[in-house]
Amino acid sequence: MMDFGTPVLEPGSANGTKQVPQFNPYQDNGGTVASIAGDDYVIVAADTRFTLGYSIPTRKISRVLKINDKVMLGTAGMQADTCALHKVISTRMRMYEHDNNKRMTFNAVSQMLSTVLYYKRFFPYYTFNIVAGLDDKGEGWVCGYDAIGSFEQRKIVCNGAGTKLMQPVFDNQVDWAQSWDGAGKPNLSLEQATDLMKDAFTSAAEREITVGDTLQIYKITKDGIQLEEFELKKD
Amino acid sequence: MFLTRSEYDRGVNTFSPEGRLFQVEYAIEAIKEGSTAIGIRTSEGVVLAVEKRLTSPLLEPSSVEKIMIIDHHMGCANSGLSADARILIDHARVVTQHHTFTYNEPMTTDSCAQAVCDLALRFGEDGREEDAMSRPFGVALLIAGVDEKGPALYHTDPSGTYVRWEAKAIGAGSEGAQTALQDAYSKMMTLEEAETLALKTLKQVMEEKLNSTNVEIAAVTAKDRKFRIYSSEELNQCIERL
Repeated sequence: MMDFGTPVLEPGSANGTKQVPQFNPYQDNGGTVASIAGDDYVIVAADTRFTLGYSIPTRKISRVLKINDKVMLGTAGMQADTCALHKVISTRMRMYEHDNNKRMTFNAVSQMLSTVLYYKRFFPYYTFNIVAGLDDKGEGWVCGYDAIGSFEQRKIVCNGAGTKLMQPVFDNQVDWAQSWDGAGKPNLSLEQATDLMKDAFTSAAEREITVGDTLQIYKITKDGIQLEEFELKKD
Repeated sequence: MFLTRSEYDRGVNTFSPEGRLFQVEYAIEAIKEGSTAIGIRTSEGVVLAVEKRLTSPLLEPSSVEKIMIIDHHMGCANSGLSADARILIDHARVVTQHHTFTYNEPMTTDSCAQAVCDLALRFGEDGREEDAMSRPFGVALLIAGVDEKGPALYHTDPSGTYVRWEAKAIGAGSEGAQTALQDAYSKMMTLEEAETLALKTLKQVMEEKLNSTNVEIAAVTAKDRKFRIYSSEELNQCIERL
């Protein structure tokens, strides 16, 4: 809950207590974003539940921003900061297109988001982002970010409330990490990746109360972006 | 010719009744006093060649900078007031570095020319803008660069106009040189042929006899996407081919 300051009594001042104003400009609205990248595709998935403590003000919000036909941005964390960030990124993207007469590449978007986040190093956007897209050769990639712009380019990234439940499963199923038989990496098809994404979110919705309602899966291929919606638990 | 302009040629932001800005036109005239610079674009890269005016035998030729590097994949030659050129090139260097910092990619030649021309227009009289100039820049640039669309050559002038050229000459000898380029240029040229054509054209329009100290040559190649000013040995090799 947004809190502009019920004074807190602290021992230590002249009359034995001192009042310290509290300022909590952040709130956690839950949500999870995840992305799996393949040789010629990348999928971005996000649930649509908006939580505030134990309540659900809205069951249908979007956490994903389409940058262009090849790049998308997914954001978990605080919804107000998500909206503000998406607005900044949209404007910057449009200005880039005007200035440079070309679309932003996956590479350019990923570096720009990092710069935008770090510029608010001392009052950060409370957001946890992923940028997913196809590179110049058409190969899928995804970058995962912390709130202040540190990022890493990988094939699978998960960010937000459900991360702790989902990331180990993805590491095992996509990167073949911690595999018991040491077999080689599976090369997931778009359909397999989509199914894995549905399983992961269904499982997370079972155990994490801020994940649920609807799963939006955006599939980015050379033919463009396709949206598939998949229903999750609503309780 | 100049008498009729007396009423309107003072203000840098006052149009004449014919719709002209005389100070901008005079700035363009200033370039025609400058030393000649030539740029030639080929599919293999872009060559820049300039004449250095060495007014005294005691002058150190290497201190006359007519070709400057902007970013690793871009550079430019100038003609006109060299001091003004430094301001524009400093701006271009900042802008290209900022682009790489923000987007992790080299800036395109087109965008850089556009950024330089944005600065070229920041002149006026009121001085409200902190970084405004009191007069137009008296310099023209030939910007050579390579990006994902290949090699490109741009010409910028004091009016803030930027145009892409296959081959362009600026400076005192520009008229004769441009005609010579128009006759000899071909789209099929190799970079080596462009080097030769640039020097040959310079030789025609220069007052002094061309040698390795009074000309400078640089190129950016499509292959390695690097801008490089030639060493005196490389320059001598080019001159020997003439």
